[in-house]
Amino acid sequence: MRIIRSIRHKSCADGTLMKEFVLSAPLTEEFFMYLKGFGEVAAKPGIGEGFYTFEKPDCFSIKGFAGDTSVEVRFRHEVIDLTTDFVYSLFALYRDGDPDLVTLKRREAKVVARVHEHLYGR
Amino acid sequence: MKEKKPFIYLNNAATTWPKPRAVTEAVTASLAAPVFGAGRTAGTEGEDYPTLAREALARLFHAGPPEHYIFTQNATDSLNLLILGFLAAHPGPCHVLTTALEHNSVLRPLHELEHTGRISLTVVPFGEDGTVSQAAVQAALRPETRLMVMAHGSNVLGTVQDVGAIGEILHEHGVYFIVDGAQTAGHIPVDLGTLQVDAYAFTGHKGLFGITGTGGFYLRDPGAVAPVRVGGTGTDSFSLLQPQEMPEKFEAGTPNYPGLAALAAGVEFVLSVGVEAIAEKAERQTASMIRALKEEPNIVVYTAHPTLPIVSFSIRGMDDDDLGFILARAYGVVGRTGLHCAPLVHQAIDDGKGCVRLSLSWFTTDDECRTAAEAIREVARHADHSVDSA
Repeated sequence: MRIIRSIRHKSCADGTLMKEFVLSAPLTEEFFMYLKGFGEVAAKPGIGEGFYTFEKPDCFSIKGFAGDTSVEVRFRHEVIDLTTDFVYSLFALYRDGDPDLVTLKRREAKVVARVHEHLYGR
Repeated sequence: MKEKKPFIYLNNAATTWPKPRAVTEAVTASLAAPVFGAGRTAGTEGEDYPTLAREALARLFHAGPPEHYIFTQNATDSLNLLILGFLAAHPGPCHVLTTALEHNSVLRPLHELEHTGRISLTVVPFGEDGTVSQAAVQAALRPETRLMVMAHGSNVLGTVQDVGAIGEILHEHGVYFIVDGAQTAGHIPVDLGTLQVDAYAFTGHKGLFGITGTGGFYLRDPGAVAPVRVGGTGTDSFSLLQPQEMPEKFEAGTPNYPGLAALAAGVEFVLSVGVEAIAEKAERQTASMIRALKEEPNIVVYTAHPTLPIVSFSIRGMDDDDLGFILARAYGVVGRTGLHCAPLVHQAIDDGKGCVRLSLSWFTTDDECRTAAEAIREVARHADHSVDSA
């Protein structure tokens, strides 16, 4: 699964920057379960075909419906330049259910360290 | 194959949609012929859209002459021109009143002026019923108060202010009164002929069914406000100073002819339906929707008895942005989430978190209201069913 393009963006009152991305394939429940390895996932399976949110504290959040080929990502504004590439990696390296977890975990550790240094100086 | 969702547009307080057929036809017709405007062409045939729109507005608002209706880009533009123009015409210290119900179209110009030291500012609070009382305005008045700017209708609560009674108080104290009619023009009867209002700003693309990029204001006394945007008018071109005749005093540059064609057609549509009929239908549908939402205990409705077709609400335990996202994606119900450019209202009603707003228009059907209310209730029933098993 890949991000094909960004179709909408807005600055939100909570200081985040929202971007809506079009994906190469529909979102699935399995994709959000895979995201649990990188943050907190909440699900409301009774709404539509299943509504899911993913939260990566200090970095970004993702929300979307299973079956949809678009997704909303909210970036924490101060660190968007540090986190955008990792968001793209989360989709690209999922590889239709066969994720490259080694690469992803390495990139995650780097991103988190840089974000914490930027936000908290450590 | 995914089932096609309905599309229920309930974001009419932002911009009305759909537009009456006459409006889209008027835009097409305006583009099918060369621009016709006195002083701007040697041509002798064509529709004078600015005049058509001015005359229609004068009939709708029961106040003339039509030349006292000035065209702008939108209500924000109108309010900036009126506020800055009033201050340009009245040099010296100025205390200004506004209210906590305002949109940023009023709050930001006034706070910028306060920030630079041009004015002092008092924000009058609103009561639990969503209105600003005459007593609160009276209490905020000072000897140096020169201006009050306030919303006629709240874009979050749907309440309408008694600008007539407040205007009487202000005029007793010699205070100039600018009213932001962005949410009331075309939605409820507005009689500018009798209301004690000095200037009334409106937008073209909401209740007047015009297109975006159009708006204007009615100015009772042209001498009270100075023009802050000047330039070519197609008249009196030898003069290097702005003409003082209306409407040229405030209208510089080539008008938005397609936009004014749409506005003229939109106002004619409102006149043909009757603004009383529009208000009556909106009140019935809004009340019915609010009743339906209140049946579900998880839903918090912020608009108890709105006069305008606005329903603002949230669901306990659910982020308002998630709620708007779910309604649009899973049910095809398009509203608006967040602060609605009215931060002080949200500070008062929901600690600044924001909420979801649905807003109706003449074209909203009873069936759409029922479907939207049922969708919201269904989401509310799922609100506590988070199954995060992490």
